[in-house]
Amino acid sequence: MLRSQRHARWLALPATAVFVLFGVVPLLTVIRYAGWRWSGVSDPTPVGFDNMVRLFGDGELWRSLGTTAAFAGLTIPIFLVLSLMVASAIYKTRLERFVKALLFAPGLVTVGGSAIAWYLLYNPDFGVVRELTGWSLPWTTQPFAALVYVVAFTLWQQTGYGVLVVSAALRGIPTEVKEAARLDGASEPGVFRFVTLPLLRPTLTFLTIIATVLSLQSYTAVYLLTGGGPFGSTRVLGFYLYETAFERFELGYGAAITLFVLVVTLLVAVAQALALRDRGVGRGAMAGDA
Amino acid sequence: MIVLRIATGLFAAFVALPLLWLVYAAFLPAEALLMADLTTLGFTLQNFRDVVGTGLFSSMAVSVVASGTTVLAQLAFGLAAAYAIRNGARVTALVLVLLALPSELLLVPLYRLLQTLLLIDTLGALIVPFLASPLVVFLLLQALRRVAWEVVEAARIDGASEAVILTRVVTPILRPELTAAAVLAFAAHWNLVLFPRVTTTEDLWTVQVFLSNLLRTRPFEWGLLGAAALLASAPILVLYVVFEKRILSTFEAGFRT
Repeated sequence: MLRSQRHARWLALPATAVFVLFGVVPLLTVIRYAGWRWSGVSDPTPVGFDNMVRLFGDGELWRSLGTTAAFAGLTIPIFLVLSLMVASAIYKTRLERFVKALLFAPGLVTVGGSAIAWYLLYNPDFGVVRELTGWSLPWTTQPFAALVYVVAFTLWQQTGYGVLVVSAALRGIPTEVKEAARLDGASEPGVFRFVTLPLLRPTLTFLTIIATVLSLQSYTAVYLLTGGGPFGSTRVLGFYLYETAFERFELGYGAAITLFVLVVTLLVAVAQALALRDRGVGRGAMAGDA
Repeated sequence: MIVLRIATGLFAAFVALPLLWLVYAAFLPAEALLMADLTTLGFTLQNFRDVVGTGLFSSMAVSVVASGTTVLAQLAFGLAAAYAIRNGARVTALVLVLLALPSELLLVPLYRLLQTLLLIDTLGALIVPFLASPLVVFLLLQALRRVAWEVVEAARIDGASEAVILTRVVTPILRPELTAAAVLAFAAHWNLVLFPRVTTTEDLWTVQVFLSNLLRTRPFEWGLLGAAALLASAPILVLYVVFEKRILSTFEAGFRT
């Protein structure tokens, strides 16, 4: 029996091979490419540490780091609060399934189609919302409004995931615990504050770290909605990387920026994990090995 | 509590609005949009006729073939990997790290890799790098952890080979999760924008590249944009409406402590 179990482990081979070739190998080779001058078409020229040195003097890079921080700083707290609020508000109500199904949908429907729907709704010059209410978000001309627009779209798309994760965790809390607090005279807000919230802590930690990592690296929403503008105000790190590598065809420097993004992500994630652990997080949000 | 419910209702309305608009705008006549007069409710199919010849359908065909092939491979490799991990293969850490790494970040090294493999500007560029998905492995692994393992052990005692156990014992038990993972994986691949944009040219544009390009080149043709957006979203919307319950419960169960 043991021998067949050992045989079964070989079944991980195909998937692992794909993960190594298209996940681990790019992660390692990008270090080498960061030392190249390379347009993507002609043969690369090794330039040593030139690209790395250039990173430090690149004002546009540091500015996009600031934009990314503003984007993440706006998105993540609202994402967490919304996930917590919606999941608690619908918990064990008749509308629970409907609301969850609704909120999860934007994450799946064709993202290019969503971008078009948003464009037609919220365009400040002739969008439907403006025609109907007279109000509009001037995201085509004002830098901060553009950032808010990208944040709103991201929340629109992603909050469903957060709600599902929090909702799963809420179900994991035994009702007896809450009942006991109520019998001891705790009010509903008190039960939430002193029983539910502490028990949700590992889940919220997990969501925070995942949301941070993805918001530092992703830029599809920026590409589809604003193209980095106006005046580069929504040019997050990932989008700067894309522009450098595939619009200005400096793939070597693009590789250096990729490394920069990876290092920033790693540092932030580790710092977050340490900070959140110090505040007494017990178990991980994901089940341990069976 | 009332305040929370009202806020939740408002947020739900905010989420629903673009989805409803997506369906509605596709049928509005050009006059209603140009005159910015949405009160005279018109209904037309002209927008859908305008879409013919724009290249939407060929890009949808590319997407269906690429995403469909990819998902089949992801399910087969993913189930095998999850089963192997459940039997002690130690690749969980690799799966979790890659789960947090979007392909759009690694575009530069992936571009070079695909060049080396002579896959740039082929259908293979859209399929080969995605033959296995960390999300699928993760969801199926979480599902396998809830399976009573005696079933597998009993099959082993009866002398069943691992291949037979995987196809005849595990697959039927995990059918709901496999369905859900298939839809989630299909949507994830279908919704890639930058990766296909960079690795292929116009003949192999996926539906997302096509739509983002349409928005850029014909931003004032609302009816056309609306119809193209709705047609392109239809396959996913149908899949979602049909399998919504399984998808939500599988996703939730995957993240339950």
